[in-house]
Amino acid sequence: MSSHMKTRIRKQTRSRTATGAGGDERGRVRTARRSAGGGRAPDRGRGASRRARERYGSRVGRPGFVWAVPATVFFGLFAITPLIMVAALSFTSWSGLGPPRFVGVDNWTRVFADPVMIESVWLSLLVTFLGVAVQTPLSVLLGVWAAGQQRNRAVLSAIYFVPLLLSTTAVSVLWRAVLDPNFGVPSRAAWLFGDGNLFGTQAGAIGVLAFVSTWQFTPFHTLIHQGAARAVPRVLYEAAEIDGAGRVRQFFHITLPQLRNSVITSTILMVVGGLTTFETVLILTQGGPGTDTTITAYYMYQKAFKGFDFGAGAAVALVLVVAATLVSLIVVRVSGYDRMRSDMEGVS
Amino acid sequence: MKGHVKGLGNPGAHLRRTLVSGLALALALGLAACGGGGASSSGAAEFHVLVYGDATNKVEQRLVDEFNRTSEVKAVLDTIPGADYQQKLQTIINTPQAPDVFFNWGGGSIRPYVDAGLLLPLDGFTKSDPALASAFLPSVYETAVVDGKPYGIPMRGTQPVLLFHNKKVLADAGVEPPRTWSGLLDAVKALKEKGVTPIALGGGDKWPTLMWFEYLYDRVAGPGLFAKALEGDRSAWESADSRKALGMLKQLVDAGAFGDNADSVKFTDGGSPALLASGRAGFELMGSWAYATQQEADAEFAGKDLGYTAFPAVEGGKGDPANLVGNTNNFYSVLKKTRHPEAVAEFLKLMYSDRFVKEQLSVGNLPTTTNTEKFLGTAANPAYSRHQYELVEKAPSFQLSWDQAYPPAAMTPIHQAVQEFFAGRTDADGFIKAMQALPTA
Amino acid sequence: MNRRPNHLAGAGSLVWLLLVGLPLYVMITATLRTRSDYARRGPLALPERITLDNYTGAFSTGFGRYFLNTLTVTVCVVGLVLLLVPPLAYAIVRSRSRFASSAFRLFLLGLAVPAQAVIVPMFYLISEAGLYDNLLGVVLPTAAFCLPVSALVLSGAMRDIGPELYEAMAMDGASPRRMFFQLVLPLSRGGLSTIVVFSALQAWNGFLFPLVLTQSDSTKLITLGLYDFRTEHGIDIPGLLAAVVLSMVPVLLVYLFARRALVQGLMGVGGK
Repeated sequence: MSSHMKTRIRKQTRSRTATGAGGDERGRVRTARRSAGGGRAPDRGRGASRRARERYGSRVGRPGFVWAVPATVFFGLFAITPLIMVAALSFTSWSGLGPPRFVGVDNWTRVFADPVMIESVWLSLLVTFLGVAVQTPLSVLLGVWAAGQQRNRAVLSAIYFVPLLLSTTAVSVLWRAVLDPNFGVPSRAAWLFGDGNLFGTQAGAIGVLAFVSTWQFTPFHTLIHQGAARAVPRVLYEAAEIDGAGRVRQFFHITLPQLRNSVITSTILMVVGGLTTFETVLILTQGGPGTDTTITAYYMYQKAFKGFDFGAGAAVALVLVVAATLVSLIVVRVSGYDRMRSDMEGVS
Repeated sequence: MKGHVKGLGNPGAHLRRTLVSGLALALALGLAACGGGGASSSGAAEFHVLVYGDATNKVEQRLVDEFNRTSEVKAVLDTIPGADYQQKLQTIINTPQAPDVFFNWGGGSIRPYVDAGLLLPLDGFTKSDPALASAFLPSVYETAVVDGKPYGIPMRGTQPVLLFHNKKVLADAGVEPPRTWSGLLDAVKALKEKGVTPIALGGGDKWPTLMWFEYLYDRVAGPGLFAKALEGDRSAWESADSRKALGMLKQLVDAGAFGDNADSVKFTDGGSPALLASGRAGFELMGSWAYATQQEADAEFAGKDLGYTAFPAVEGGKGDPANLVGNTNNFYSVLKKTRHPEAVAEFLKLMYSDRFVKEQLSVGNLPTTTNTEKFLGTAANPAYSRHQYELVEKAPSFQLSWDQAYPPAAMTPIHQAVQEFFAGRTDADGFIKAMQALPTA
Repeated sequence: MNRRPNHLAGAGSLVWLLLVGLPLYVMITATLRTRSDYARRGPLALPERITLDNYTGAFSTGFGRYFLNTLTVTVCVVGLVLLLVPPLAYAIVRSRSRFASSAFRLFLLGLAVPAQAVIVPMFYLISEAGLYDNLLGVVLPTAAFCLPVSALVLSGAMRDIGPELYEAMAMDGASPRRMFFQLVLPLSRGGLSTIVVFSALQAWNGFLFPLVLTQSDSTKLITLGLYDFRTEHGIDIPGLLAAVVLSMVPVLLVYLFARRALVQGLMGVGGK
């Protein structure tokens, strides 16, 4: 299956010549020779692919590029333009009052000499990594468990879902109140929390951040795995049981491999989400104690909107973009997500 | 999947029409609603007054209401929560959505705006109504004079920083409100033995931490050291007096005066006042507005157990124990771009009216108009207002908060430096270096 | 699957229930208690007597208006996404133009651009356009940042439509436009509901854009209302948590009445 699906995808991106201006063909469909499999016939090499296309594709009217224009223009205006402007701003000094002034690479040399900035990148990666490391096993286990059909599981799953109904802001506000060193739970449970100040040390504050995002997002990832676990063919388990495999072996030899795709998808979502954590830090720790939880996204906000150094803020923002792109690329390459996605997209 | 295809014959056109028109309608309605939701109603004859959001806003709202009763051009009061006020202000002040009149602290807090040519010098206003200058105490009015021209009209009360305490907690620990630094250290020790956090500190806001530096530098070195530093003499920070003040602060912190979670406590969200009011802390060094804050949160405590004294004297220090630090007042400044300067001028005249003085006194603020003294008896707590009034009147020096004396860009580095010093993350040398790196005006 | 009860998994799930449930318990009970009750007896105690003052108090700070604003923004964002993405996805899947495939690559690239990265120039653009402190100024960037994921999800759904179906329609002489409305849209309903759920949640929970691009009470969204409430009254925990509860009521209603759609939609964001 996967091989010809891949070619289908490739075809879509490679074939630019055929209908480039083929408006004349649109709608002028003569016969539709629907041979079994049609364009799906395994086609090897470019020549074969073109032939296959001629057999069905070109006779069917296809939308022109106009269909993609509105969304692309809109995206260009509100996402790509600001991105280009960020790059430009990073070479200027701008306090928001006068016009931006060109200063060359000044911001960049300052940013790379700034220990807080360097530390913020590591902190972002650490927070992201912690999120993945804690949430993945947890949500896989919960997802597989919730995929069972028992009634009590359905009820519990409904409760587990509740954190998803709260916005990140609400979750952070809730946990800030619950964990307040003076007025929250820790102040009443000294046996568990000691002096009650979870925000007082770097380890404590990072732990709180990781825990709160786990609390908030595990239900979502559980949902993804639950869907995937339900889709595992029954026969696999039946066969395994005949072979006498126990529950644990079934989990590791059948369930987990079958969840590969959902694990990769949810990991990518966690990575992107982790790198862009913002409200959680703003509300829970404000980057503290000191600058111990000042992750890059928060540092950018601080530089630009609290220190009014928009040029340096722009440079930090670009570092964030580069880091996010690199990490995403690495995850995509290592996991084979790109291949998987096209496989998945081909499944009908 | 394929099952769906069967019914596709003719309802398509219908579906399409419904879909398209439905979407278009929803979007048109929605976008119209979105567009209408904005606050920038540019056509109407009104001007916007932007103030720091806190307990005093009700007074400002009443004055705006009073102004709108008679004025054709209406004033609109906008507030931004205090903790976010300054950053929002700087972000919008050069945009079309900037207010016409805005709250500030005078001094360095408006200098960059003056330099950028955004503010209206008020000498035109004072020419046509001299009372807009003469009705205010000169020492306060001076704070908002930049390059010889007035740029702000005092619009709240003067806010010296006082050492507040919980009378009951101090009595339980057998402690008297300290008059000297060593007295304070003794009190800290006694309170700590009682299991009470000696001093509540909203370290999360950072500026409450800064107040300790402002007073100690003043008491140890006198007001001259900071004045020199502000003018750009960076060596002031390395002086022996500077190091002595830092050493004393370190001693206080190391004595456990502020408990161990001050960084997670804030004044702005009601945290440190609650610690003081609930008897979990003995002292809090805070601006005089803390009285209004306590009164709003817990009127019974404010009336009965909230005590206040001036900052203790430092034995052998060069600063006069009567010196004050804090905010001389807050000011209204006017943007050049305002389209209703006459109406704004009329609005500003309210700031020395009897009504204004009485309203401010009623919430515990102490206005700085020349007619304030005769209304002192009408204050929420006459004794408190009189005490403050006398302090301000007798103070040989009233130092504006450092973070307001410097331009706004210096605020984050100052706050970071004081916070890190209190947390023991930097030593005296680190602090001195950070202060020397500040941009000066 | 194995039919024996799994005690280990059961115990594990109960631990998780405790972790999920404890803060929810504190949240619900605290909002029904008075401030002094909460301060005196701690967060874990049950209410001495039940009061609704916290809710009325939170509501009177303007949450009614914030709801309306948030609803407006959400409807606008979803509307924009629904207007822009289906044609785009259709072009990505079916068009052979160079433009469509480059557009697809542009959106894939856009997946890695976090909103925080562009907030500085976004502020500049929006304020130059005169949209600062205007809900429309929040709608536009929010919708733009919903596009990459929506395009990916919807084009994935549209790829599932077999080519023979297009051919069948082509035999009837259908134009690409007719195919779009009669074939593609009806058959990608799953994908459409996913992008609706996704963009609605993005808009409903949005924080950074409203934080930087609005300021006054009349344009405040729920998330910012919560943030400001916490900034000013962080210590009034019962009141604060009442505001949190209020903020989740609309989503809770959707969850109760359209649970399947919401769950399916969310699953769709993760792939299938």
